[in-house]
Amino acid sequence: MFRKSRAHFDVIFTLAWRYLWRNHRRTLIMLAAITVGVWAMIFMTALMRGMVDDMLLNGIRNLPGEIQIHHPQYRDDPSINNSIDPPDKRLLQALQIPEVQAWTGRVRVPAVISSERDSRGITLLGIEPESEVRLSFDLDSIAAGRFLKNSSDHGLVIGAKLAERLETRLGKRVVIMSQDPDNNIVDRGFRVVGIYKAKMASLEELYVYAGLETVQKLLHLDDQISEIAITGENYRNTANWYPQIKQATGENLQTLPWYEADTYLGAMLAMMDGFVLVWIIVIFLALSFGLVNTLVMAVFERTREIGLMQALGMHPTMILYQILMESFLLLFIGLLIGNVLAVSTIIPLQDGIDISAVAQGMEMMGSSSMLYPALKLNDILLANSIVIVLGLLTSLLPAWHAAQLNPIEALGKD
Amino acid sequence: MKHLLLILSVCLYSSLSHAADSLATNSAAASLEPAELIKQVMEHWRSDSSYSEMTMTIHRPDWQRSMSMRSWTKGEKTSLVRVTEPKKDAGNGTLTKDNNMWTFAPKINRIIKVPSSMMSQSWMGSDFTNKDISKSTDIIDQYDHRLMEKREHDGHLIYVIESIPHEDAAIVWGKEVLTIRDDYILLEQQFWDQDGTLIKTMKASEIKILGGRTVASTIRMGKVETPDEWTEMSVQEIRFDQAYPDSLFTLSNLRNPRQ
Repeated sequence: MFRKSRAHFDVIFTLAWRYLWRNHRRTLIMLAAITVGVWAMIFMTALMRGMVDDMLLNGIRNLPGEIQIHHPQYRDDPSINNSIDPPDKRLLQALQIPEVQAWTGRVRVPAVISSERDSRGITLLGIEPESEVRLSFDLDSIAAGRFLKNSSDHGLVIGAKLAERLETRLGKRVVIMSQDPDNNIVDRGFRVVGIYKAKMASLEELYVYAGLETVQKLLHLDDQISEIAITGENYRNTANWYPQIKQATGENLQTLPWYEADTYLGAMLAMMDGFVLVWIIVIFLALSFGLVNTLVMAVFERTREIGLMQALGMHPTMILYQILMESFLLLFIGLLIGNVLAVSTIIPLQDGIDISAVAQGMEMMGSSSMLYPALKLNDILLANSIVIVLGLLTSLLPAWHAAQLNPIEALGKD
Repeated sequence: MKHLLLILSVCLYSSLSHAADSLATNSAAASLEPAELIKQVMEHWRSDSSYSEMTMTIHRPDWQRSMSMRSWTKGEKTSLVRVTEPKKDAGNGTLTKDNNMWTFAPKINRIIKVPSSMMSQSWMGSDFTNKDISKSTDIIDQYDHRLMEKREHDGHLIYVIESIPHEDAAIVWGKEVLTIRDDYILLEQQFWDQDGTLIKTMKASEIKILGGRTVASTIRMGKVETPDEWTEMSVQEIRFDQAYPDSLFTLSNLRNPRQ
């Protein structure tokens, strides 16, 4: 039985292969269509993924962290009165789980920065440089000077755009003004020790970094902080370990994963997953018309031969298999070339595509001016399996049609 | 040659300072440290308490307006200012107490605590900032003072003091240069940025005897870059050392003037 079906397969394969190349021009055109289609599926998906990944990673870096702990009112009113105590024993223990890559406590309050010439509203971040770097701040973004050394550093790190607006520079003094928990004005002079360049200019104007202890002293906060940010390895896994942290923080604090802290980001991820599927199917639909057309033509042309083979004793099922085999070979070769083409166009672009010409528009979407295509195995598999499965399904129609031919009528056709 | 120069300069210096000393013997300012001198200036201007009536003129290239106001001060950190003229601004008031500041606007019948974000904004549309108004005495202990020059002018000794803010002081200026006359009148206050450019100056343009003291009765504040924009304060009347009750400097008095 097995040997018999093996022999059948050999015959079908040989026949299908030969038919495929009998009209090689048509086959090549169809191959080209499949190749381009598959390439477009994979390449465009990688670009979109890259863009959204970038947006999500940026978003999570800026939140910052995959999980955030706040005072329940802080997110509605980010004032100093809604500060929280540093992590207690229970939370510290929960932060030991292997999923947690880094965590940090920060003070984040609205403040005003002024130079001799201008003053602007900013968000003052009191940070612990060591953990902040692992969580949110990218040391490569320091354009001049240095980042803070420790949490009692008396320096200030501001964005390049803010420095420009304030007409101040590295090494000059600026004044930070804010309010303490009793609503008294507190202020202090800081020397600018570092200037950073963010991927997004709007952030450069917003965030000003100072040492945590220095800020706590300035704001009369003792050891209180505004938020605790925790990050893991992969933002797609956050939901798995989020409950452990939430349990440890108790009811008096608000603990949120990134997709709830910034629902836009969460929606973005869900939308992207859906979008990839829709994109692949749309391209496939366009492809399928060509595929069906090719196969229908092939069947139509060969009516006499199919009749002859049936007359010689070939079972209609074999004819069905044979047409499907033709379709499969066509799709398989097309996919092979398409995949190779897509991967080989994406790899040279791995270092990023400069889209700074439209950077301003991209920035509004929360994306940066470099686009890094993200090739995901899942996306490739999805594209390939959709093309193969749906391709064979669409080929069923002409194949079925061929199998249904009546040998006598078919032989009578000229 | 070098020696000669040195001797010459020493002679010159000593004779100069002798002249200065002899001139200043009848003036108490002579022996004072720069910081003390500035403190005396503040003391002289504000005393333990003071009451003054003044006019503020805001000048811009295409318009100019004046406001009359009355102000009370007590100690170093408490003051109340209330606008009396013109009618549409009358009743606007500002209360400062321990570096906090509240404003009252009768039109909206609200007291607003000036938040830190507005401290460096203009006070009543003038060239003074809220900070200038509320923290005038900061200069004494937030800066390092150095006497730069001592000269004689119109029979008075003039001290020029350079004040450099402390590293962590909440002052944006690179330095301030104060010109003080030996009778504790602040003739000029210059605000320099950290690159050594003069940004704005406050200058006394008229000195009068008011309330039994010689005071700078007209002060003009203006930015160097825009010489045709300035604010002038001229004092018509001053009374010193009146006993004001603490109830004068309260939010309720800011809203409902009893005095």
